[in-house]
Amino acid sequence: MALAPMSHDVRSRHWRDGHLNEIGLLLALLILVIVFAQAAPNFLTGRNLVNILRSASYVGIIAFPMTFVIIAGEIDISVGPTVAFFGVAFAQAVAAFAIPIPLAILLVIAAGAAVGGAAGWLKVQYAVPTFISTLALWGALRGGALWWTDSLPVIIPSREFRVVLGGDIFGLPVVAWIMFATFLVFAYLAAFCRYGRHVYALGANATAVEALGISSARLRITALASTGAFSALVGVLTDARLGSGNANAATGLEFDVIAAVIVGGTLLTGGHGRMIGTLLGVLVIACLSNGLVLVGVDPDVQQVVRGAVILLAVLINAALAKRALSGQKA
Amino acid sequence: MITAADAASMPLLNLQDIAMHFGAIKALDGVDLVLREGEVLGLMGDNGAGKSTMVKVIAGNLAPTSGSMLVEGEPVAFQSPSDARAASIEAVYQDLALCDNLTAAENVFLGREVMLRIVGLPVAINFRAMKDQAARLFQELESDTRASQLVRTMSGGQRQAVAVARSRLNQARIVLMDEPTAAISVRQVDQVLKLIGRLRDQGVAVLLISHRMQDVFSVADRIAVLRRGQKVADLATSDTTPQEVAALITGAIESAGQRDWPPEKSRSM
Repeated sequence: MALAPMSHDVRSRHWRDGHLNEIGLLLALLILVIVFAQAAPNFLTGRNLVNILRSASYVGIIAFPMTFVIIAGEIDISVGPTVAFFGVAFAQAVAAFAIPIPLAILLVIAAGAAVGGAAGWLKVQYAVPTFISTLALWGALRGGALWWTDSLPVIIPSREFRVVLGGDIFGLPVVAWIMFATFLVFAYLAAFCRYGRHVYALGANATAVEALGISSARLRITALASTGAFSALVGVLTDARLGSGNANAATGLEFDVIAAVIVGGTLLTGGHGRMIGTLLGVLVIACLSNGLVLVGVDPDVQQVVRGAVILLAVLINAALAKRALSGQKA
Repeated sequence: MITAADAASMPLLNLQDIAMHFGAIKALDGVDLVLREGEVLGLMGDNGAGKSTMVKVIAGNLAPTSGSMLVEGEPVAFQSPSDARAASIEAVYQDLALCDNLTAAENVFLGREVMLRIVGLPVAINFRAMKDQAARLFQELESDTRASQLVRTMSGGQRQAVAVARSRLNQARIVLMDEPTAAISVRQVDQVLKLIGRLRDQGVAVLLISHRMQDVFSVADRIAVLRRGQKVADLATSDTTPQEVAALITGAIESAGQRDWPPEKSRSM
């Protein structure tokens, strides 16, 4: 094409250097599958693979907006309690207030966006670090959900709801289709839209973004609002799986989400990350969790192994990032 | 004689009696400044003399305490940098305001991305169009900067070219450059000075803020000196020497230049 051969070489080297992380994740995924398939005969069954995909989906739906939040240089650690709180709020809306289910879904997502957006607003308006504001939300939303329900499940009186949102389409869970759709939307935003490119720019140089007349406030607030909104959506989907709203749902989900994003190659320092990396990170974490259970590893040891794997991934990322950041060597 | 030229050609930028006070501190105190098309004005002064404040006032980052500002004869009052940009004033900042993680082309177009449209609807950023247009700008500026290169991997001179290309994209007629040669290698300095010359050749008025005497003397047509918030000299480069300018900066010489702009007059608020 218009490219000179030399610049083409530079390009392909860039491509390889730039995607080393994704290539590594694919390899890691392959190794995990091979090892677990050897160790647990029921790992590589269709039924189990669907299970892995399902559990990956609850994490993934939040991990894609979380990727933007982290690229923007922020963090949202409140997603687990947000899922629980809005799962409960949805169940209450339907069971206690008899709000029609479609309307209740919309209301809960809007409220989730408002709560997440508020954390972004506190950052913009009062320079409250999002780590702190979402830590406050982490406590308040879990506590609020428990207090609201007396820690008891709130049964949703609709079988249809469970069958539709908790069921399958073309052999795959509805939640998995929603996860794939979320991935496509966020990958498109990240790579091809002004919004996404501005989030990357914000993470690299907030002053530059402001100097060019781009509103960093809008970017931060919408990024945090999106983790809130998608967490609320996962709250609804969790209710569909369980048939009730549970204040204890999604305990520790924030760790899985953030771990998936970081394992996927997004740097906590902001400015760098890709949605495809997050997708692979989500699948790696889900495979690992599932495989450890099937192999029969002690639950306490499972936590240790997961921690070690995440640490390893971050170390590899740091090395890759250092290589990429130091510029391309011939 | 400058007064005669003044009457003949309308200045692009005309600052009259600009004052900027921060409490009791007079960062700028009755400064007049004129900038014409295709002219490079070197603005010199010691640290704290008011150079950066001057740039911030012109770029719309600060609203002056008093004084008037005319762009092409029209009075303006900037509330924000985007107001200044709308009046075709572009600032190239010392830290350059570039994003390391984006390509040169993406940086040039940051906030003004070219969109690929289908039936009028923007569907995606047109990276190809941005790359081609940025490449043309770099060619115009005779810079070796590659449009698809990440800014992270660029030299100081190339970064300057990206920042300057950004101002060209906006068709800016007045470009403010704050210490463009401060943080780069000697070899790169030459590139940046050539960039400034190229801007002038295209009719752009350049306000060059710099500490580096030899850089200012090699590209500026005129040199204005600020000392403690006041303009103490406004001289044609050919009429002065680095020794005289240095003396004006330090205060060894009280003032020089046009008799019709004595600093005493501008002290009145």
